[in-house]
Amino acid sequence: MNALLQGATWDDFTSWLPDLWSGFVLSIEVTIASLAVGLPLGLALALGVQTKAMLLRGICLAVVEIGRGAPALVLLQFIYFGLPSAGLPLTSFVSATIALGWSTGAYTSEIIRAGLDSVPGGHKEAVSALGLSRMDGLRYVILPQGLRVAVPALLGFSILVFQASSLCFTIALPELISRAYEIGTNTFFYFPALATAGLFYVAICMPASFLVSYVEHRAGAYAVR
Amino acid sequence: MLYQLGLILRGLPWTILITAVSLLIGCILGYPIMLGRNARSLPVRLVSIAFISLIRAVPPLVWLFIIFFGVGTGAFSMSPLTAALIGLGLIAATNMAEIYRGGLISIHHGQWEAAQALNLGGAHTFRDVIAPQMFRVALPSSATYAIGLMKDTAIASTIGVPELAYQGARLTQETFQGLKVFGMVGLIYILLSLPIAWLSRRADLYLRAKVAR
Amino acid sequence: MPQQLRVVGQHVGKEAPLALTNKPYVKLEQITKSYGAHTVLRDVNLSVHSGGVLAIIGPSGSGKSTLLRCINYIEPPNKGIVTVGDVTIEGETPVSRRDLRALRSKLGMVFQSFNLFPHLTVLRNITLAQERVLGRTSAEAELIAMQLLTRVGLADKAAQYPSRCSGGQQQRIAIARALALDPKVMLFDEPTSALDPELGLEVLSVMRELATSGMTMIVVTHEMSFAENVSDHVAIMADGCILEYGPSREVIRNPQSARARQFLRAVNER
Repeated sequence: MNALLQGATWDDFTSWLPDLWSGFVLSIEVTIASLAVGLPLGLALALGVQTKAMLLRGICLAVVEIGRGAPALVLLQFIYFGLPSAGLPLTSFVSATIALGWSTGAYTSEIIRAGLDSVPGGHKEAVSALGLSRMDGLRYVILPQGLRVAVPALLGFSILVFQASSLCFTIALPELISRAYEIGTNTFFYFPALATAGLFYVAICMPASFLVSYVEHRAGAYAVR
Repeated sequence: MLYQLGLILRGLPWTILITAVSLLIGCILGYPIMLGRNARSLPVRLVSIAFISLIRAVPPLVWLFIIFFGVGTGAFSMSPLTAALIGLGLIAATNMAEIYRGGLISIHHGQWEAAQALNLGGAHTFRDVIAPQMFRVALPSSATYAIGLMKDTAIASTIGVPELAYQGARLTQETFQGLKVFGMVGLIYILLSLPIAWLSRRADLYLRAKVAR
Repeated sequence: MPQQLRVVGQHVGKEAPLALTNKPYVKLEQITKSYGAHTVLRDVNLSVHSGGVLAIIGPSGSGKSTLLRCINYIEPPNKGIVTVGDVTIEGETPVSRRDLRALRSKLGMVFQSFNLFPHLTVLRNITLAQERVLGRTSAEAELIAMQLLTRVGLADKAAQYPSRCSGGQQQRIAIARALALDPKVMLFDEPTSALDPELGLEVLSVMRELATSGMTMIVVTHEMSFAENVSDHVAIMADGCILEYGPSREVIRNPQSARARQFLRAVNER
């Protein structure tokens, strides 16, 4: 352990905390921004891949398949290093939001689609039998039920988005891991600094994933399957 | 364009190597972790749960940093490849443990009862009856996970393993053609996932034809 | 050989089974089983002589399957004594693995849902335990397996996987699998309940053949014709107790308790 702590003292740790904290706040901000972009995108894509308009469906499918098929890290660099070369320079925060939002949208579209699929077919028939318009049926009957089924998986995915925010290190966004790494390069206390950053993730992700499995468990108790 | 593609593809063997080796580590180590997770003794179970939760709570990139920069510069020095294999191997192990466990849970309790009634005993029951079915059920999710792991290997570029994403980043720095370069890199990853998906579907169909469940 | 003993069994009247003069092969004494606050079996006593065929009937939830599963300790009873041949196990004491092995080596079991191993061929389903438990060579085990498959009329299925067999065929394979370990007693837990009637018949005919060959059998069943015509004794269970016990025809044609009459009437009206 001593070899790993490399002689870092308690004062060293406390001196890093403000830095790590601001990095942590930025990580949370990127996560929230990505979810704010990604979740509505996911809903739109879930509906888009089921639409009858061929062109729209093709585009949605491509967005989903690329977003799921390429590593998030590559999406991030594609946006951050790529778009400026196409004459569209972006800050790392905006790039991160676009890339992680894209990835989130692609994955959550599958989650939401599975949720919508779980709504019994009879409900769709009932909607048309009642003479509701397709939009109203979607809005008042299908979405409320389907999204409720998708909630546990969406919460679980949100944890993964928070973890994926660590990838923003590669596009020079001063989030949690960039700060820890910077402390490491300045002080050579790599392990203590990085491990402390790791603890931030543990402090968020561990309780969050227990919460998600609890919600999953609760939802499973009266899920319609 | 072709020249650039050739440069990027120099990373391909590395990507395949990291994926294959860390998946192998995961498949092997995942088994004892799953056994610990299901152990009858509460302390063993708790330790296993804590281990799995800890590994999963920290992002893969952070693990690679902790192992490569944290441990690697302090206690032992190691190559980027070693660090990537240790980190991704451990992550794969905990994920495979959960996949195995899913397979285990799906096995009908009648199988245990039949083995008991036949007097097979714990070890034989597990080895001859339960484990083969568990691996069988785990196959499709393992394949899905293998594709996920293959994409996760991209983070090995951050500690300097010269795989696909690393080649892409280097080429971008030289050419400033990020859109094209990372477009190609992303496409290669997508193409790479196709044979894995195809193989798993073939294996699944083959086994399904033999053993319908 | 056990045929004679069975004749003896048939002459026994309706007294409590413990009052029998000769020693039964399977004896259950005061078996009690509960899940939490819910008691499934209360002080059940029952015995079967060597070569005897006992049918246990009764409404669902009466505890008949649980009783059967207590005999080979797949469900350990909370209280009571199980004796099979020279092995005696008491419910309360922690059971040693050796005793469990000795007990189960005398008992073959057939389940409602067959429980064949889906990843093994039919032949391997039958040879596995022979090799692992009895230490037979694979050649010996295969020879015995093929003989048994021929006996249940499924020699041509040896190389197939269970999923390629009908339910009736799977159940006959399960019977062969249990017989391969030379059990002294066969336990059947509603062996035809998961089957269509015509598939049930092929299983019942195998069981009938087994009974005539002198095998000791305890059969939990809903098949009244089997209870009446094949088994020599019948026990009617309800609410975790044995309502009535005795020679098959007597019990089925002339039940004593009102509850048993009600059950038999309900079965006949179906």
